[in-house]
Amino acid sequence: MTQSERIAPSATVPARRFDAAGILPWAVFALLAAVPLIAPHFGLEYYVGFVRHMLIVAIAATSLNVILGYGGMVALGHAGFVGVGAYAAVALVEAGVGSAWLAWGGALAAGAVFAALTGAVSLRTRGVYFLMITLAFAQMLYYLAVSLRTYGGDDGYGLYTPLSLGWLDGVHGDVFYWVVLALAALVFALASRLAVSRFGHALMGIRDNETRMAALGYPVYRIKLAAFTGAGALAGLAGGLLASHNAFVSPSLMHWTESATLLVMVVLGGRGRRWGAPLGVAIWYTLAEVLKINTEYWHWPLGLMLLLVVFLAPRGVAALFERRRGEG
Amino acid sequence: MSAASLFQARGLVKRFGGLLATDHVDLAVEKGEIHALIGPNGAGKSTLVNLISGLLPLDGGSLSLDGVELTGLAPHQRVRAGLSRCFQVTSVFGHDTVLDNLLLAAQAHAGSSFRFLSRRSAEKELMDTALALAETVDLAGALHRIAGTLPHGAQRKLDVALALAARPRLLLLDEPMAGMGPEDSLQMVALIEKLRAQTAILLIEHDMDAVFQLADRVSVLDYGRVLASGDVDYIKGHPEVQAVYLGTDTET
Repeated sequence: MTQSERIAPSATVPARRFDAAGILPWAVFALLAAVPLIAPHFGLEYYVGFVRHMLIVAIAATSLNVILGYGGMVALGHAGFVGVGAYAAVALVEAGVGSAWLAWGGALAAGAVFAALTGAVSLRTRGVYFLMITLAFAQMLYYLAVSLRTYGGDDGYGLYTPLSLGWLDGVHGDVFYWVVLALAALVFALASRLAVSRFGHALMGIRDNETRMAALGYPVYRIKLAAFTGAGALAGLAGGLLASHNAFVSPSLMHWTESATLLVMVVLGGRGRRWGAPLGVAIWYTLAEVLKINTEYWHWPLGLMLLLVVFLAPRGVAALFERRRGEG
Repeated sequence: MSAASLFQARGLVKRFGGLLATDHVDLAVEKGEIHALIGPNGAGKSTLVNLISGLLPLDGGSLSLDGVELTGLAPHQRVRAGLSRCFQVTSVFGHDTVLDNLLLAAQAHAGSSFRFLSRRSAEKELMDTALALAETVDLAGALHRIAGTLPHGAQRKLDVALALAARPRLLLLDEPMAGMGPEDSLQMVALIEKLRAQTAILLIEHDMDAVFQLADRVSVLDYGRVLASGDVDYIKGHPEVQAVYLGTDTET
């Protein structure tokens, strides 16, 4: 058919080969990579650690965005995966593992296993029930950690020996920062690619119309479980990185308010949008930091500002930018 | 009902509490046949469709398609076995374009969906399948329209196209003419007539003109039971059928 020839190219070939959207991730990456080199000149060393923390949280938020934004699964237990990762890393260190890569790999695996097990149960439910059951699993973990004497129970547990990064050791004082940045960038790239892959399309189809997807022949449950497990793995990795970052773990990592904060950050940034998670994390942490400098009662204005954002950008801040670009 | 029937439902039972919604229903569809299922509101037609497609679990009975037992299979496995369906209430992906809808349907039946890193837009075969589906239902001119903004009749055609992507051997059409004007109904009748060559069809429909025009065989459902089954003339002349269903509106 000549018709198909006429239509196919515009649909297969990306319309925009070269534009701001293509350079943006690299520009952001370069900017972030320069932080440890520039900050000390202005006496802002503190902010190297601050940004490193944000990058780690961005990994967790991005993984949540995959199941929440692409998959439509409103989970309230994501901090549980982060906590599992953090405690897994600590357990490995305690068992004599000295390599950061091994500890983080263990964190990733632990997050995946925990997500697969809890997902297998919780994904049989939907909506509010799903939210409650993911919350319940995370709370179980929280209380388990509180009662774990070996790892300090309620008081938490310090990691006193710094982990080895292998041949990267001693390259630069801030090498851990760049490792975190590289991992965060990798996770961002993975999530971006996932969104345009077969799996991503299937996942978003399930979000939009689960019954129809089953009637189209999709193994809905397996697809959701795969997404849930992958997200759990990445959140576990974030947990392992967080344990290294803080040189400390405690049950408060898994408190349900942490899960809620992740949820708020993703919704704020724009769920189901490429930049949603990192943008939400950046806005949340920057606002909190600025307000903390000025007032002890920073929760109040933060809450008000978030309300404002919800009214002005109900689909998230990232959606605002997309619309503006569409008009331009 | 010979053993060689393409699709066979035997003794289907569904209870909702004390209500026997499906009362030992036997149904067969032959290859190349359009088998219409009619019955008054509340007769259990939609329940039967959901039992056959697997959205509701059976309380008794068995199903087979082309010799393959479907009884214990999940809905998506039944689709893989060759049984595809449309929905009474149009069920398309309203926020996506027609093309994206068709690509999603095509993807389900061409390779694994567990591919995480390669761009789907690079797959030419999916695109070809999607375009062919659009041609079949006459939507090739609307590929880049947002599905939810299409007129009702076009959305119903898209719904049919989504079901066709499975290359079904039995297609369940649940009231395809529902809510359509005469113009759209005519087009849908023409489409169903065209599909006869590709697949056997179980057609649930209220529009009697369409049913009598299309069906090779008609079964009448009443209170969850099959009241009568036969060709169009037999059903038209069946006294009990006239009493429960066609009523005073019988056209002869």
